Amino acid sequence: MSQPLLQVKDLHTYFNVEGQRAWACAGVSFDVLPGEFLGIVGESGSGKSVTALSIMRLIPDPPGRIDSGEVVFDGRDLLQLPLNEMRRVRGRDIAMIFQEPMTSLNPVLNIGRQVMEAVVLHENLSQEESRNRVIEVLEQVGIPDADKRLKDYPHQFSGGMRQRVMIAMALICKPRLLIADEPTTALDVTIQAQILELMADLQNQREDSATILITHDLAVVAESCDRVIVMYGGRIQEVASTRDLYQQPLHPYTKGLMGSIPQEDSKGKPLFAIRGNVPAILDFPPGCRFCSRCEQVEDRCRSEEPPLVDLGGGRAVRCHLVEKLPSNAEAEEAAP
Amino acid sequence: MSEGKPLLEIDQLSVHFPIYGGVLRHQVGLVKAVDGVSMQIRRGETVGLVGESGSGKTTVGRAICNLHSAMSPDVKLGGQIWFESRSGRVDLNGLARKEMLPHRAEVSMVFQDPFSSLNPRMTVQQIVQGPLCIHEPDLDQKALDERVSQLLDRVGLQPQYAARYPHEFSGGQRQRIGIARSLATRPALIVADEPVSALDVSVQAQVINLMGELQQEFGLTYLFVAHDLSIVYHMADRIAVMYLGSLVEYGSAEQVYKSPRHPYTQALLSAVPRPDPDGKRAKRTVLQGDIPSPLAKPTGCGFRTRCPLAKKECAELVPELNDRGTGHFVACPVVE
Amino acid sequence: MAAYFARRFLLLIPTFIGITFLVFSITQFVPGGPIDQMILNMQASATEGGVGGSGSSVEIPPESLAALKEHFNLDKPFFVAYGHWLWDLVQLDLGKSYKYNTPVIEVITSRFPISIYFGLLGFFLAYLICIPLGVLKAVRHGSRLDIASSMIVFAGYSIPGWALGGVLLVLLGGGSFLDWVPLGGFRSEGWENFSIWQKITDQLHHTILPVMAYMVGSFATLTILMKNSLMENLGQDYVRTAFAKGLSERAVIFGHALRNSLIPICTGLGHAIGLIMAGSYLIEKVFNIQGIGYLGYTSIVDRDYAVVMGILVINTLLVLIGNILSDVLYVLVDPRIRFS
Ligand SMILES: Nc1ncnc2c1ncn2[C@@H]1O[C@H](COP(=O)(O)OP(=O)(O)OP(=O)(O)O)[C@@H](O)[C@H]1O
Ligand SMILES: Nc1ncnc2c1ncn2[C@@H]1O[C@H](COP(=O)(O)OP(=O)(O)OP(=O)(O)O)[C@@H](O)[C@H]1O
Ligand code: SF4
Ligand code: SF4
Ligand SMILES: [Mg+2]
Ligand SMILES: [Mg+2]
Repeated sequence: MSQPLLQVKDLHTYFNVEGQRAWACAGVSFDVLPGEFLGIVGESGSGKSVTALSIMRLIPDPPGRIDSGEVVFDGRDLLQLPLNEMRRVRGRDIAMIFQEPMTSLNPVLNIGRQVMEAVVLHENLSQEESRNRVIEVLEQVGIPDADKRLKDYPHQFSGGMRQRVMIAMALICKPRLLIADEPTTALDVTIQAQILELMADLQNQREDSATILITHDLAVVAESCDRVIVMYGGRIQEVASTRDLYQQPLHPYTKGLMGSIPQEDSKGKPLFAIRGNVPAILDFPPGCRFCSRCEQVEDRCRSEEPPLVDLGGGRAVRCHLVEKLPSNAEAEEAAP
Repeated sequence: MSEGKPLLEIDQLSVHFPIYGGVLRHQVGLVKAVDGVSMQIRRGETVGLVGESGSGKTTVGRAICNLHSAMSPDVKLGGQIWFESRSGRVDLNGLARKEMLPHRAEVSMVFQDPFSSLNPRMTVQQIVQGPLCIHEPDLDQKALDERVSQLLDRVGLQPQYAARYPHEFSGGQRQRIGIARSLATRPALIVADEPVSALDVSVQAQVINLMGELQQEFGLTYLFVAHDLSIVYHMADRIAVMYLGSLVEYGSAEQVYKSPRHPYTQALLSAVPRPDPDGKRAKRTVLQGDIPSPLAKPTGCGFRTRCPLAKKECAELVPELNDRGTGHFVACPVVE
Repeated sequence: MAAYFARRFLLLIPTFIGITFLVFSITQFVPGGPIDQMILNMQASATEGGVGGSGSSVEIPPESLAALKEHFNLDKPFFVAYGHWLWDLVQLDLGKSYKYNTPVIEVITSRFPISIYFGLLGFFLAYLICIPLGVLKAVRHGSRLDIASSMIVFAGYSIPGWALGGVLLVLLGGGSFLDWVPLGGFRSEGWENFSIWQKITDQLHHTILPVMAYMVGSFATLTILMKNSLMENLGQDYVRTAFAKGLSERAVIFGHALRNSLIPICTGLGHAIGLIMAGSYLIEKVFNIQGIGYLGYTSIVDRDYAVVMGILVINTLLVLIGNILSDVLYVLVDPRIRFS
């Protein structure tokens, strides 16, 4: 197995909410391999964005703070870097795309300037070369007549086009890691399909780089990702290859999520729904964070948080029932 | 169930919004948000209305509930909305406020945004009893309390929540409050405008299940507006697909979802991500471009700017919905 | 766009006519109308104790009444009279001031330089100080500097400009405490004969307190508007995007957030133009400056209607032009705005 591109180790991030520390990201550890398309799924408030922003060190402080952990990229712990060196990582080595393409672009600056900014900052190129690079990358993401649109402003683009501009902006310095936080959530399905296809194409072109796709939509993950991390309550609950996860979800939460999406054969039947709501950040129960909604809850779940158990074969689950869950070997047998 | 007689018969409905501008506030354009939509909704069935953002779904829903004249006084309404009310057949379209009032009890609406659709200064009790006070003025407070607590109980909320305010609830719970309110007057038809779009996946499933149960129990008829095709397929007996203010396809859920005929429906379906990593479709038709602005609709077929099958004659005639047998309507003369 | 502004300017004409029409209608009530009534009342009270700082007679002198009648064509039907007046107006003939016995336009223009001097100076100083201060407060939100400056700014806000001026005059004007600044006036007597250096220091001496009094009101609103606007923009998604590109905090604030947060400030700029000219009677009174505000007030007290009308007309025009200027500025700073 190749050396991981990024290693997140025991990351803890909290926010000060009502005078208390609300742990939005509590002990998150995962690796990102070169060439990988990694998905992070979970419902609203599960800590997906906070994890991504912590990697970039973009947590708003106050009220938030990265408390502990390591984010190792290129042999360096990003969390220990002086701020000026961290700025050289942002945009050049690791780039990020956000959910709202309308508000994520500056409304009063033209597209050309916004896309060019990162190259000018990180690379020693002449004005002319930077401009050509901008046109090249805008064309790569599918903006027709890019050279004529440099002087246009964000409001002159449609939602899908804006998201393409965001992607161009992120890719212009050829980063080795691209983090896309819900890049298609605000878009229509037909436009979502365009953007996902574009991201997959671009990932295939950049062989040793990786993409992290954050979404709440399991179907989007199934379409795009090689490997999936399922988060709930600021913790990783399950890690698996996309195929394993869909064929045999192990964690009760993952099962619940799968059951919640209508399938073709579920028509007319009630969906399998997880009971209750996602608690507010300060209201998560002690012990297993999912115990207030879990159908298989046991006494120890309420007092003792289960560890994330590595089942081998790239699979890990955080649940006390891990021994009773079908093992990874069985899961492989089950696969054709 | 699907062979009942039509509860609602929409005939050539059009909703146009004049746009005013210039110094003298003269009309500078006309948004044809809905243009010549006809369909029937039979008693007890669920008709799903799908389409991308801006296609006019909400506008159709509001027209049925007669909400346009109150919200935008300049609106130009055309066509008829025949409703089989308790007191006989009436045309709801553009009905004056007074004449509409008795029918408001029979046609109610559930809104998309559970956060802004409930008055933050009213208690749940006041919200839910609101329509009752208007339509059954002889109920005393005791009877009202009784009805409200029954309703809350029925939608899965504890009756003691009646004294609380909307901000104390999560999105899913608020949507339940909205459903309780819409049920209060025992309506025959509920127009649900994207009732689950703003909710978490697991909560979406709960609300969908609830709506299914309520339909069985009260013999409700739904117009279920959504942009998520898999949810619509799950819920609906029949599906209508909208594009740029017009219906492009209409038929049973099976017909539309399993063997779509219109090029737009086909593209829309192929764009929907499937939660199955192995079920990769043979070939996906990714539509190019964006929906045109309803202010500048293309001549002829509205879809022709993005249609993979577009021919020269598509620019000339506006395709009409016609029956391709067994109630499967398609508005495209090119596909046979 | 150009067409839009061309139309805006054309539209000035009917708006202006509408407003002058209203103003003119008021004059129709002057002699023999409710205003005469008022004059009678004032006469009654004036005999009991002196009213009005000017000490002039409260009765309209007959020659002035005649001039008014002539200028406003009171003997002709209303619309004819209005037409005549408007036609005179277009030719910049605003009638004659009975008090100064010179054409109104001259009376007013003679006061212009003083009002413009204080108005513009106060205006620019306010913007020059408030914008950087607001930015600093936003960037250091919650710091001691932020809190202390807020306190000062709000204290200033709650004191009316003329009152502050009065207090400062008492403290610094050589009366009871310190003798740092002159007691008022626009310049010292014999200013024309001073050396260049003396001229400048003398002028500054006379300027500093009135300008402070002029500014103090808008200071708080402007500073806080700037601060809030920038703070709001710093919380926007596009700021996060800019940080994610690797930009420094400086580059993010000055390259991205600042321009957006200037949008509400810029639009206020045009409206302020109209206010510059309006002057402030009370401040001018305190400092004994012969500006437009002072002129307007004394003219009302003296029933010098031709002057009052003239000032009204000019201010109206300035406010209208200021509004257009606001729109122009809006378009310049915000590319999303496209009037058509
Ligand atoms: N600026 C903040 N101040 C306080 N709490 C915050 C802040 N940002 C995030 N949180 C909290 O951190 C938790 C995790 O938030 P996060 O944004 O990571 O969720 P998410 O998984 O990205 O969900 P979504 O699907 O809604 O984007 C949430 O419960 C949220 O309340
Ligand atoms: N009051 C109004 N005045 C002018 N245009 C309007 C008005 N209401 C709706 N429209 C326009 O009509 C079109 C259809 O809007 P509608 O809200 O019905 O779309 P929709 O299908 O519900 O989309 P979404 O999925 O975004 O809710 C849009 O282009 C919208 O801008
Ligand atoms: S640890 Fe217990 S509560 Fe948590 S998911 Fe497993 S069974 Fe459910
Ligand atoms: S009418 Fe023409 S443009 Fe419209 S859907 Fe059919 S083939 Fe396409
Ligand atoms: Mg998020
Ligand atoms: Mg809608």
